[in-house]
Amino acid sequence: MRGLDNTPLTEALFYILLAVRTPNHGYGIIQDINEMTGGRVALGPGTLYGAINSMLTKGWIRLYSEDKESRKKKEYLLTSRGMEVFQNEVQRLQELICNAQKMEQSNLMDVDGR
Amino acid sequence: MLKFRLYYDKDAEQDWLQKMCLEGWALKQFFLGFYTFVPCEPGEYNYQIDILDNWHGDKTDYATFMEEAGVEVVGQWWRWVFLRKKAADGPFEMYTDAQSKIAQYRKIKRFFTVFLVIETICFLMELMAAMETGEVVIGALTVLLGIITLALLRIVWKCQWKIEQLRREEI
Repeated sequence: MRGLDNTPLTEALFYILLAVRTPNHGYGIIQDINEMTGGRVALGPGTLYGAINSMLTKGWIRLYSEDKESRKKKEYLLTSRGMEVFQNEVQRLQELICNAQKMEQSNLMDVDGR
Repeated sequence: MLKFRLYYDKDAEQDWLQKMCLEGWALKQFFLGFYTFVPCEPGEYNYQIDILDNWHGDKTDYATFMEEAGVEVVGQWWRWVFLRKKAADGPFEMYTDAQSKIAQYRKIKRFFTVFLVIETICFLMELMAAMETGEVVIGALTVLLGIITLALLRIVWKCQWKIEQLRREEI
């Protein structure tokens, strides 16, 4: 995982942060991401396990609950630090889209001008 | 059915387990190079091999996480874990992006680099002993150690190559 907080998030990290805005467990996160992307992003359990541990360390997510009796199902939840990281990323992506749209518009003007 | 194999390449081992499963043999147990297979429907499972960060700390945490994600932990030996999923439940890949794949190969590389250093030292000591004494037995042992060292060098180099390939993919 990347060391600095301000580098672009990978698709996996971005979607995991989205999936834990309400308490969610491992398999739930995989399913939610699958649904959100229409099956395009199928997160591997190893990738998710590594990402969760790394984000717990960084304090982007926290352990919400742990079912100690039955199957030790752990639920994770977004922290305010994680929220901040996520919002920064959304801002960065919006800038990308905004600039891409500008290019499209100027292309259209070129075509019209001819 | 019991088979003895020595693998140090996770990818090759994975391919072999997959091939065995296609022939109707599912891995049941692993211990020190001995693989126990039981009959299964041809192609019933997809196998993956994973390497843990350390070999005792996160064992139960990891295992419960995987079971919960619908992955069956078939066996564990040291840091090596054998995992499988029913083929009917869809494709099974432990690592799905370049970043986590790189992290995985780094782990393997680090692991084998330690052994490579130890083996190289043993090889050099053995080589000096062989030259000093000129004994055939020690000479033979030197050759054997040399072969092991080369095998380790190969796997470290292969991991590095994979990491570089994945890095290029990332861009």
